[in-house]
Amino acid sequence: MVVCGALVVPPWSSVYTPQDLSNRLVALDFGNGTAYAGLQMLEGAVPHETMSMRSFDTSPAKRYAALMAGEFEATVLQEPWITVAEKAGCRLVSTTFFYGTWVADATLDADTYAAFVRASTTAVQRINADKRRYLPYFTREYQGYPEVEALTPDDFNLGRIQVKTPEPIPEAEARWDWEWMSSWGLLSGAFEATTQINATVQQAAHVLQ
Amino acid sequence: MTKTMVIEPVRAFNGLDVLVARDEGLFAAAGLDLQFARPQTNDLRSTAEGTLANPVTNQGRLLERGEARMFQG
Repeated sequence: MVVCGALVVPPWSSVYTPQDLSNRLVALDFGNGTAYAGLQMLEGAVPHETMSMRSFDTSPAKRYAALMAGEFEATVLQEPWITVAEKAGCRLVSTTFFYGTWVADATLDADTYAAFVRASTTAVQRINADKRRYLPYFTREYQGYPEVEALTPDDFNLGRIQVKTPEPIPEAEARWDWEWMSSWGLLSGAFEATTQINATVQQAAHVLQ
Repeated sequence: MTKTMVIEPVRAFNGLDVLVARDEGLFAAAGLDLQFARPQTNDLRSTAEGTLANPVTNQGRLLERGEARMFQG
């Protein structure tokens, strides 16, 4: 799965570019991939010493509500809250995509993972053939939220919904991610591919699927 | 022979393919009984409790307890 994350500011904000977020308070859900997507977007736009960040809730609904209440000047959102924010007049000052990576315990065998990959691959093909058909998946998770319930298929930008057939983890990308996380003090020690990636199971599963 | 695997729950933004595969019987067709683990209420901590240097995450908690075999990180 490819996840879209966007740095969002409210309609009345004077922020129009990610560079404008210098010394502006940005709320991120540290511990989740969306937070690190937000951190990378910020890092690419403003000097480290002018990055102003705070932790905020896991729920994008709560981050959106707090953004609109003025508790901070920007936050990172994922779908369907990016679409909710856009519909409310918020601006996306930066948008990015990142991979979700499956992490397995040591007991996972190649046959089981191959079955998982096989089913996921077919699902990806079906979704890519008709993304609109699957939009209700994004809204039904937020029943009781009027902003989400008010969304129609035409509100969504289908380009932000990206799925891709599962592939083996590229070692170079895994290494880069590790080193980036280490640069922020979130991991320690050197990246060891053999510790992080079970190449035997991974390769066998992708051959079997 | 059908194999059973329990994974941590996903949402549409990070697991649309998995949700569709489950609902459309694709895991079953692949010989896999895929189930979602059910977190307890006290498993769900808010990321607001963490910091950049010391983040809080719910991802992987059920795997660590042996209640799920995979999670999306």
